Amino acid sequence: MPERVVTVVPEAGLHARPASAFVRTANEYDCDLRVGAAEDADGDLVDARSMLAVTSLGVGHGDRVRLAADGADADGALDALEELLSTPEGNDEDQ
Amino acid sequence: MDYTITELMPSGLITLEEPPAEKTDAIEYLLDHITETGRVTDRESALSALVQREQETTTGVGKGIAIPHAQTSAVDQPSVAFCRSSAGIDFQSMDGKPAHLVFMILVPENGSDEHLEILSSLSRSLLHEEVREGLYDAETPTDVQAVIAEAIE
Repeated sequence: MPERVVTVVPEAGLHARPASAFVRTANEYDCDLRVGAAEDADGDLVDARSMLAVTSLGVGHGDRVRLAADGADADGALDALEELLSTPEGNDEDQ
Repeated sequence: MDYTITELMPSGLITLEEPPAEKTDAIEYLLDHITETGRVTDRESALSALVQREQETTTGVGKGIAIPHAQTSAVDQPSVAFCRSSAGIDFQSMDGKPAHLVFMILVPENGSDEHLEILSSLSRSLLHEEVREGLYDAETPTDVQAVIAEAIE
């Protein structure tokens, strides 16, 4: 199952607008997508398509997250989520 | 978290009456409960912080839950209020479902991340279906406090 570790660049972390952009993007793909804190190697990953689950992570600016995808276009989904998390707020689609 | 549930969420901040069905009215309704306990020094500025946060992106997080929140100098201590809507409130949640369980978090503006800690702890507990069921079944504010106290790590 493809996985990657990404540093969260947006100032708000994985909250508010970056979080909703993240969840919205995750819902555009058909594969199973999970996210969790990278430091928490054995930690459970949560459903990246659920705003409640993503909010529960409490991921801040500069934290590293682990993304895992399984299914159709898993790599494409990871690319899209990685790009989103690597882009400072202000350059995203909502601006 | 560094707070007990009764400090964070005293029974006066929990209502099991039916809240207004419209989102902003429901936000004002919860804010009124916090204001009535004397915890809000400036209701208008607290409201404007909450509304501004909603405009950025909805705090409807799906699974029938909304968690409007703000960091504001209008409060001196972190507070969490709760109401339950049987009608459901349209929070424009991404899953398209109305919010039935609504928590409001207000924290002072002291530069810490405590509002995010409270938000993530609360969200983590609400991921569990039995916690949501417990809140739907609660008959008194004490029941609500007990469900949350048990769920929060």
